[in-house]
Amino acid sequence: MDSDGEMMSDVSSPDDFLDTQASDDDSLGDGGFGDLDTGFDDDNDLFRQQRNPHEVEYKVLNPAEVERERQDQIAEVSAVVGLSPELAAVLLRFGQWNKEKIIEMYIDYPERTLDRAGVGPVTEGRATTEMIPGFLCGICFDEGDDVESYAMRCDHRFCVDCYRHYLEQKIKEEGESARIRCPGNNCQHIVDSQSVELLLSGEIRDRYHMLLTRTYVDDKENLRWCPAPNCEHVVDCSVKKRDLRRIVPTVQCACSHEFCHGCSLPDHQPAPCTLVKMWIKKCEDDSETSNWISANTKECPRCQSTIEKNGGCNHMTCRKCKHEFCWMCMGLWAEHGTSWYNCNRFEEKSGSDARSAQAKSRASLDRYLHYYNRYSNHEQSAKLDKDLYLKTEKKMTSLQSQSGLSWIEVQFLDTASHALQQCRQTLKWTYAFAFYLARNNLTEIFEDNQKDLEMAVENLSQMFEKPIPELAQLKVDILDKTAYCKKRRVILLNDTAENLKNGEWSFNVEW
Amino acid sequence: MSLCQTRLQEERKQWRRDHPFGFVAKPQRTPQGAMDMKRWECAIPGKAKTLWEGGLFKLDVTFPDEYPTKPPKCKFTPPLFHPNVYPSGTVCLSILNEEEAWKPAITIKQILLGIQDLLNDPNPESPAQADAYNLFKKDRKAYEARVRQVVKENQP
Repeated sequence: MDSDGEMMSDVSSPDDFLDTQASDDDSLGDGGFGDLDTGFDDDNDLFRQQRNPHEVEYKVLNPAEVERERQDQIAEVSAVVGLSPELAAVLLRFGQWNKEKIIEMYIDYPERTLDRAGVGPVTEGRATTEMIPGFLCGICFDEGDDVESYAMRCDHRFCVDCYRHYLEQKIKEEGESARIRCPGNNCQHIVDSQSVELLLSGEIRDRYHMLLTRTYVDDKENLRWCPAPNCEHVVDCSVKKRDLRRIVPTVQCACSHEFCHGCSLPDHQPAPCTLVKMWIKKCEDDSETSNWISANTKECPRCQSTIEKNGGCNHMTCRKCKHEFCWMCMGLWAEHGTSWYNCNRFEEKSGSDARSAQAKSRASLDRYLHYYNRYSNHEQSAKLDKDLYLKTEKKMTSLQSQSGLSWIEVQFLDTASHALQQCRQTLKWTYAFAFYLARNNLTEIFEDNQKDLEMAVENLSQMFEKPIPELAQLKVDILDKTAYCKKRRVILLNDTAENLKNGEWSFNVEW
Repeated sequence: MSLCQTRLQEERKQWRRDHPFGFVAKPQRTPQGAMDMKRWECAIPGKAKTLWEGGLFKLDVTFPDEYPTKPPKCKFTPPLFHPNVYPSGTVCLSILNEEEAWKPAITIKQILLGIQDLLNDPNPESPAQADAYNLFKKDRKAYEARVRQVVKENQP
């Protein structure tokens, strides 16, 4: 266990650990309205007793805690099955860190388990490099009695230089750590951390350990790195992959970044991960293009090819299917006779049929554009609000000097701007979500909630733009509106989350 | 001398001392007549008692500077009709893939024997050309006929 002591030496002080815990609690408290001083204390109690339907249970871990958790699990398995910590670690990685399963498997079939995990038969003795008379390295073909060589328990012996070179290549170039195999041909034996400790030193050894911790987080389904730049925290949340159809597990890291534990994208409540991915893909594929198509083209009434009329008369001949039709009424050209090159005919059946088919495809485009425009509008507005937010700090200082308010008294601007960001984020995704919803009574309620939140947000946003001297007078108003926005958001999210959980929504797509 | 050069010279020595019957492996000569250790001309015979018996298939093996850390590239010249050979002639085999089963301890002899095994035992999990793969999957008779044809065209 001596490697244990070394790894723990760079752990931050116990105070750091307590700090994270405290901020963690804060972030959870945020879900209620505890930070507002305007008579929502009752609600606060209500929410503390029972978690909101749109919230999930989670814990934020700092790197030291992750490492400690990892070491604890290794130590536990090592003690139960009676293997060295290094081998227990290889076993755990093989079994995706499912402790119970690994212990059970090992106790039932010790040899087969070790073999499949790439540990091989266990023999006594510590790993050392040796000089063996008559040794020939299978990689560089260096031979001699004085060549220092190394082999793991699989007994594939290579010179120390080649071994080292191989490990460096795997760690540096390929970023591998937990799955490096013996350099021998066809050998499935995993290089354990003890061998790496023996052969490598300095920077590369540190990198190896860093990669090992990383694979621990990557391997475990309940752990996820915070995707915010430069953030080293890990969020532990037990929502399973198969539950993602029914839950949108949104978490907030200690660095205050809010993201989805299921897919690492920024908070996308109320839309579930799969729909979010479908929506993003759809938007990437066609938003701008379809705008242009909608404005400038019509479809051929027969083959539905999109046609741009770039001049000339109304007699159209489709390039693709050779269908001849009139651009004005979309009817068959044959019905126009041969001499009329402008359409003044009275409605014939073929024309109105063609137009109704076209109207249908337009309608689906229009529907998409309706949702897309609102989605991107909120995205845009959130960006603009963010710019405002960056100016808030300045506003807050000037407000302090102009109106004689104290620092704590101008904090309401900060709270308001945060709420604005959050609500716009939610609104944005309600439009993506609504795009995939099939109409029924539930969507009526949903749209009402959406409308209420949208109005509240627009009101608050408007107030926010007022000149600084007016802001001081608006304080109570802004506080009220902020609280109202937050409340509307929670109502909307709870409603959608509840229905999602109970499978009440019906969708117009398969997912 | 670099690890790549020493290792290849040693492999050359070992090959001359002893190598499997029917196989060819020798470094190419540059137009100036010097030996280019990083490009070998090889040839693989079809295994006895298989469809491929009697054929001899030419192979270009190119070693990167990082050899043996990285695997060499093996290319049939001309490209071979086989499910796991790309239209360019490059062989798709796990032991020749750095991310898969390549190990620095694998020698040219093991590579050539591995490819010989692959000839009669294609891996349908990683098809590399549509031609041979489709025939192999859908019309085994026609596939075998094509192989016999290929063997006839590649006599020693």
